[in-house]
Amino acid sequence: MSTLTEAAVESAVRELTYAEAIREALAIAMEADERVFLFGEDVGVYGGAFGVSGDLVHRFGPDRVIDTPISELGIAGAAVGAAITGMRPVLEIQFSDFVTLAMEQIVNQAAKIRFMFGGKAKVPMVVRLPGGSGTGAAAQHSQSLEAWFAHVPGLKVIQPSTPHDAKGMLLAAIDDPNPVLIFEHKLLYKTKGHVPEGDYRVPIGKAAVRREGRDLTIVGSSIMAVRAVAAAEKLAQEGIDAEVIDLRSLRPIDFDTIAASVRKTHRLMVVYEGVKTMGIGAEISAMIAESDVFDFLDAPIIRLGGAEVPLPYNPVLEKAAVPQEENILEAARRLARGEA
Amino acid sequence: MPVEVILPKVDMDMETGSIEAWKVSEGDFVKQGDILFEIGTNKAVMEVEAPASGIIRNLVPASGEPIAVGTPVAWIFLEGEDASDTPPPPAAETAAAPQAQQPPASPSGEAASSAAPASNGHPAPALDSGVRATPLARRTARLHGIAIAEVTGSGPRGRITEKDVLAHLAKRPAEPAPVAARAPAEAPTEGELVPFGPVRRIIASRLSESMRVAPHFYMTAQIDMGALQALLKRVGPRIEKAVGVRPSLTVLLARVVAGILPRHPMLNASVEGDAARLHPTVNIGIAMERDGDLMVPVLRGAEGKNLAELTREFGRLREAVANRTIQPADMRGGTFTISNLGMYGVDSFTAIINQPESAILAVGRTVDTPVGRDGQIVLRPLATFSLSSDHRIVDGVTAARFMADLREAIECPEVLI
Repeated sequence: MSTLTEAAVESAVRELTYAEAIREALAIAMEADERVFLFGEDVGVYGGAFGVSGDLVHRFGPDRVIDTPISELGIAGAAVGAAITGMRPVLEIQFSDFVTLAMEQIVNQAAKIRFMFGGKAKVPMVVRLPGGSGTGAAAQHSQSLEAWFAHVPGLKVIQPSTPHDAKGMLLAAIDDPNPVLIFEHKLLYKTKGHVPEGDYRVPIGKAAVRREGRDLTIVGSSIMAVRAVAAAEKLAQEGIDAEVIDLRSLRPIDFDTIAASVRKTHRLMVVYEGVKTMGIGAEISAMIAESDVFDFLDAPIIRLGGAEVPLPYNPVLEKAAVPQEENILEAARRLARGEA
Repeated sequence: MPVEVILPKVDMDMETGSIEAWKVSEGDFVKQGDILFEIGTNKAVMEVEAPASGIIRNLVPASGEPIAVGTPVAWIFLEGEDASDTPPPPAAETAAAPQAQQPPASPSGEAASSAAPASNGHPAPALDSGVRATPLARRTARLHGIAIAEVTGSGPRGRITEKDVLAHLAKRPAEPAPVAARAPAEAPTEGELVPFGPVRRIIASRLSESMRVAPHFYMTAQIDMGALQALLKRVGPRIEKAVGVRPSLTVLLARVVAGILPRHPMLNASVEGDAARLHPTVNIGIAMERDGDLMVPVLRGAEGKNLAELTREFGRLREAVANRTIQPADMRGGTFTISNLGMYGVDSFTAIINQPESAILAVGRTVDTPVGRDGQIVLRPLATFSLSSDHRIVDGVTAARFMADLREAIECPEVLI
């Protein structure tokens, strides 16, 4: 009895890093279902470029944690084929930027096959994509390309911001009978948070209200949700009560949660690391403007997105090219004053 | 088919008007050309004539609230048409559309024409497409039957937000509550609440807006009126003989100001965005009062008119204001305003600029004042002139040069010749 209680307490306070949480999800899925296997550059003995797969190769063997040649097209094509034949591949694109090489397989094949074969073939694959800036990795290793894929019917695109969600959403993604892309921010891998033990799911397509507020709504996902929460706490000290919505999923997008919040606060700001133009902010702004929530806007919508530049190598410039907490603070103050 | 009486467009840029008072009652027989009601625009109150002869019915209450131009406000039933003929459906936008069916026996024939606002709605606000307002502000205004143009915006570039609409709403007199009306009369605990008429509403909103957008600064000068008084005495009777009106000090000052303003383009200008519009003519507005409301008719092209011409024009405007026949066109296009309160014994005062003008001259009374002249103390008739300028385009020195010219022209009117 007392042992059980201690275990429960232990579980309740247990903290893991984001990377550990993903590794734990992978292990749980692999243990539960032998069709699940990992696939990618250096995911085996090296443990992954960001150490996410870690010791999994020792626990599940090189047949299920497979080091591939340096060919994203090859990895993705093999994964699509494996998924069609009934396997559950989880592939890692070492830096999400390299997904450009795998576009054909993901966009033209994985996203379309189920529709074009009338459901007779399915592609239950998961693509893990470490993305984002902040590591000094320069223009070809730092991008946030998630919006490209959120544009494609047939794909699901998720961007968890916490270790808890990373584990639960990855497990939900592996369950999903359709292709799911999970964009993992490189700066989040070392962040810690409570992660329950065992198997659980965080549903895809459901946003989380991270902080309730009355004055304005900040929508973001991944690290931007984290920065928005930090900014909101500072704003509260200035008397600005910001509501923060962690999107978690870009496609499908949880418009209802955003709409309910804007209906309440009358002010909306969308924060995202991807380049501002033609991005997530445009989509969410347009969704609000097209809907009946339009009538509840009491200030112009603010989009806070990445600068219109290839990400600089210089760490100062790199930071300046992507919304930081100070930028969110400043924009939120403007929004609270109703300025555009 | 009954003839509809619409709220007419009586002014070029008019989008809404209000019914100030009906001159006829529900069920009256009206002849084509009879005066039906007084229409209020943001510039003037005018009379609207009947478009046809017949029995007038379904009068929209004279609430003074803004109604969109083109909205039917009554129906005239022609001979042979039964009062029970259902008029065509009123414009969908009109929340306070008249009831198609009147009660068979109205307890009072005049009930429908009373000034009480409709208890269940307001006239539809106009589209107000030129007004800067957030969607929520527009929605809130719509729900409360407020014309968004009436609301003063506090946001960037004057944008109206929900807060402004709510503030406007809080200032508005409460709806007459039927329950409260039937409650036993209690001793009033607060003073009487006098709702704004359309003119007062415009005054309130335009002057607030002026104080908000234009950084005012003020400059005063005491000027010797002796020469001007002498001039008036000399030419006054002649002009009166010629044009039938005796020139007043105000119109003479308008002549003097019109003479010097062309040399001070920034004081005869308007702010337009990030630019100053320099007006090619001098149109002097003269502030005057009618029934407690401020009216500012305009002396057009004053720089090219002599005192007799200005006197005649001023006489016409003053009469039109008094007779309520002043046309909006007579109150439009001012480029500079003079407000003279000297006749009330005011020594000096500062005025709020009449937007979009850039300055206004406030004139106090002329009073014999001891001044030093050539080592002697002498009594001179001095008046205090206060110039309010918009510092966005008028700087201190600019205003001071105008004041210097003004002093010279008043103390030595010959310089204008």
